[in-house]
Amino acid sequence: MADDRVHIFGIRHHGPGSARSLEHALESLAPDCVLIEGPPDAEPVLAQILHEQMQPPVALLVYRPDEPQRAAFFPFAEFSPEWRALRYGLSREIPTQFIDLPQSRQLVDEQPEQLATDVDTNDEVAPDKQLADRDLSRRDPLGLLAEAAGFSDGERWWDWLVESREARSIDVFTAIHEAMTALRTELPPSDDPREERREAHMRSRIRAALKDNFQRIAVVCGAWHAPALTPSRFPSVAQDNAVLAGLPKVKTEAAWCPWTYDRLSFGSGYGAGVVSPAWYELIWKCEEQVGTQWMIRVARLMRERELDTSSAHVIEAVRLAETLAAMRNRPQPGLEELDEAALAIVCGGEPAPMAVIRRRLVIGEKLGAIPEDAPLAPLQRDLAAEQKRLRFPAQAQVKKHDFDLRKPMDLERSQLLHRLNLLNVPWGTTAPRSHGAKGTFHEFWQTEWEPEFAVKLIEASRFGNTVAAAAEGRTADLAKNAESLAELTLLLDHALLANLPRGVEWLTAAIQDRAATNCDVLQLLAAVPALARAARYGNVRQTDAELVLHIVTGLVERIAIGLPGACQSLSDDSAAAMLLQLDHAHPALQSLSVESFLEAWFAALTALVERDATHPLLQGRAANLLHAAQRVDAAEVARWVQLALSPAAPRSAAAAWVEGFLTGSGMMLLHDQKLWSIVSGWVAGLSAEAFVETLPLLRRTFSTFAPAERRNLGELVQRGGGGASALSTESSSIRFNHQRAQRVLPQIAKLLGHPPIQ
Amino acid sequence: MIPLSLNWSLIVKAKAAPAMEPTVTVQRQHAETQYAAELSALAEVDDRQRPPNWKLSPWAVATYLLGGKLDSGAVITPKYIGNRRLIEIAIATLATDRALLLLGVPGTAKTWVSEHLAAAICGDSTLLVQGTAGTAEEAIRYGWNYALLLAKGPSRDALVPSPVMRAMQQGQIARVEELTRIPADVQDTLITILSEKTLPIPELSEEAQAAKGFNVIATANNRDKGVNELSSALKRRFNTVVLPSPASVEEEATIVQQRVTALGRALELPGDVPAIDEIRRIVTIFRELREGKTEDGKTKLKSSSGTLSTAEVISVVTSGRTLAAHFGDGQLKAGDIASSLTGAIVKDPVQDALVWKEYLETVVKERADWKPLYRACRDTM
Repeated sequence: MADDRVHIFGIRHHGPGSARSLEHALESLAPDCVLIEGPPDAEPVLAQILHEQMQPPVALLVYRPDEPQRAAFFPFAEFSPEWRALRYGLSREIPTQFIDLPQSRQLVDEQPEQLATDVDTNDEVAPDKQLADRDLSRRDPLGLLAEAAGFSDGERWWDWLVESREARSIDVFTAIHEAMTALRTELPPSDDPREERREAHMRSRIRAALKDNFQRIAVVCGAWHAPALTPSRFPSVAQDNAVLAGLPKVKTEAAWCPWTYDRLSFGSGYGAGVVSPAWYELIWKCEEQVGTQWMIRVARLMRERELDTSSAHVIEAVRLAETLAAMRNRPQPGLEELDEAALAIVCGGEPAPMAVIRRRLVIGEKLGAIPEDAPLAPLQRDLAAEQKRLRFPAQAQVKKHDFDLRKPMDLERSQLLHRLNLLNVPWGTTAPRSHGAKGTFHEFWQTEWEPEFAVKLIEASRFGNTVAAAAEGRTADLAKNAESLAELTLLLDHALLANLPRGVEWLTAAIQDRAATNCDVLQLLAAVPALARAARYGNVRQTDAELVLHIVTGLVERIAIGLPGACQSLSDDSAAAMLLQLDHAHPALQSLSVESFLEAWFAALTALVERDATHPLLQGRAANLLHAAQRVDAAEVARWVQLALSPAAPRSAAAAWVEGFLTGSGMMLLHDQKLWSIVSGWVAGLSAEAFVETLPLLRRTFSTFAPAERRNLGELVQRGGGGASALSTESSSIRFNHQRAQRVLPQIAKLLGHPPIQ
Repeated sequence: MIPLSLNWSLIVKAKAAPAMEPTVTVQRQHAETQYAAELSALAEVDDRQRPPNWKLSPWAVATYLLGGKLDSGAVITPKYIGNRRLIEIAIATLATDRALLLLGVPGTAKTWVSEHLAAAICGDSTLLVQGTAGTAEEAIRYGWNYALLLAKGPSRDALVPSPVMRAMQQGQIARVEELTRIPADVQDTLITILSEKTLPIPELSEEAQAAKGFNVIATANNRDKGVNELSSALKRRFNTVVLPSPASVEEEATIVQQRVTALGRALELPGDVPAIDEIRRIVTIFRELREGKTEDGKTKLKSSSGTLSTAEVISVVTSGRTLAAHFGDGQLKAGDIASSLTGAIVKDPVQDALVWKEYLETVVKERADWKPLYRACRDTM
């Protein structure tokens, strides 16, 4: 008796074929109550479906307001049967309800890690063959049946099934129901307690509807659930109540957010989805000749890309697709056949244009929209609140800011922008330092809000539902996938700027792990500057510099041990790469001015100089760095120079040494007479042939000096005749004309108001 | 006008030659002769709809090419090992009366596939035009028997039909090899034949109309130098199927082993077919040099100037096997393949020799069980 009043429509989630049959079935049934598999938590926002600004694809987001990371998305496309059912019920003002187990019961005991699976269950469409058989049958039972019938796509099979029957009515669903009943008896029963609870809850709602005396109850649910919801096969009320008893409950809220076909599609990180949303939309929109319609769109797309495609191509491609389908014993060409035909005819066998077809016509680029007055998703709401709190409104035009990081408000604004950047929402970009303002506490930003950021925020929602939490989540995600140490340290730099203490903690651990197993000194060196910067700015930004210093300690130790080994037997190119890293790491380490680092660092540099096997370029550089930091006395440096330039040394090695030693430091040569005489003596001692040989190298070195330095050096050579007897600072101080100098003294004394000097 | 004397001599020669009986002495049999048993086994069980004038249904043609076991118990050997969809597209193309263009680098079984398609569809793979830079219009349309032409004037008797014209009249598949080598103006004679399915003979004010079942399979090399690109009018009349190099070592090794076995039987070579491991090693060398990196993707390599196709692997293995049988102990040893291997890889004496030497020193030498091969190859250099 109850069976006559309850009509179960087992559908395929996001299936246009299902959607069409369902619409016909609902029309002919004219139910007085519509029950849909979906979260009852969303009831308050359901009415907005009929809002004229509501454009699928959209998603329902159900989340816990106290802990917004715990959330589930329920995407809908225009062709989703649930969407059609909702619209049908709401527009006719028939009581329409979601009857699935409320998320307020499901979001309770789950760990945040299970979020993904949570989303999966509401998206049961992926015909992914890798999944276990039983799992597959639950996710896409129709796909499984379609495959058994020799179809590549459950949708086409469904269409064929529906269209081959004249009566587009309820008996299709009866057939599905029977098939599912058979399938469920064949397969072992599900041992997932959540699954049982969901079905028990749906049954209890159907019972309630029966009790309310509705006469024609339409139940729309995933085909898999259909057999379990038939009243005559219901288990006892007590049994269902037992399953549902004692479930804790939390408060949940629901919101709509715009969705994209890309996110709806399979490969976007939300677990299961629809493989080809744009293709499904076409199936939904065109009842007939889908293949022709699709091929016409392919041709238009190709013409847009300036690839010749005539109507004849379209005709031939459709014919080929039809022949292929016939060869494969399929009644109509599916996406597979059309794809192959397009490749053979429209693209002339070239696979490259197929990527465009895939992006535009298979997956699609459609972006949904929600009414302006709709409640916002938590991440958006959090951002809006932050913007309000910081008096930092989102504006469409370009705006420049100069933040003084000593002010808490500016500091927080900067952190907000950095966090958004981490979330791939590039609202602000750091602008180059403008003139005038100096000091590390200034930060320059340029902001411009773009509407697409709304979608990016939704995308970022999967990392967390507040800006800070999401930024942290994304950091952790990036850290997990980072390939090199340098990537990690750069990320750490960002995380510090964005003030994400937990993110910094993970990154620290990750960097520690990575550095411990990494023996590439070059990579370790590359990591130093970012870390040092982080440690230095830490104080201004109130981040934990101690933590970073701890990592740097470990790094410096490893570098100090590995550096001498890493600098030997290098090719000239690798030596140049190493030189660059040395030059970057050295000032970074010096800026930290921690004596223990510097000691280890300089010891390593000394070892570099002393080892014969070190590449001469790096040897020279290390000598220079030590000399500039005054870690060695001048006599020692002079000895090194002499040693490197001794006649027995190969000329090319000597020139490389000089290059490493002198590049960028002409001043040193100008003021240190001893050095000057050694270098100058070496150059003068070269034979004519050897001089020509080394000239390019020397020129390269000297060209790095400032023009003034070069001029002075030139003068020095002229006056000193190029030999060891160059003029020195001492001698110049002696050659004063004392008499002439004395004449000025009285005048100076007068100016200073000093009694005249005797 | 071609000098008459030449034609006379041709005709005389043709008459003087004794009629060739199809005996076992032919060096290489046509596909339809060699696999006659398989074709008739397929025809027996094939109850699906056949396009007009086809000997088999598209399904049976696909089975003939890709291999399988029939309900009657007959086993069909696979002729093409690779992507099933490509073959399906090719057959579907021929069934839609569109012409088929098989593209690919040398040695990707283009000609092989075209021969077997023709053999399976119309039982005759001999209606062949070999495209060269010197292919003239007569080769595609028709020529004249000048003696008759002079004696009786233009008539059907004096007309010498090309393979394409014969295929049209009999409703069979014509094959055009190396289409892009044919000069562009000659290529374009195909346009009318393919779109209108007719061949006008203005000399007789007649035309030859294609019988049902006629179609053309053309092959072309898409990496050749000095080719004549197809005009877009002609291109539009072909469905293009690109045949790729084999996807994996396993697939390629299977292809090589199968072909070497078949060739050995046809050429009556003594000795055993080399073990699959030995073949896999040679295939690996070719693949690595072809792709410019080692199979594990860890080491980059220089690639040689040759195309290093599967066909060349087959010839290396076959010649190695022959060497082993005649001059060795019948077992394929490293020394037997070293010289032909080197010859196949080193096409440019300077550049390729460097590539090959580098490969030997950096890759072959490092692999534990490749030592004999390394030594043998070093000796040949």
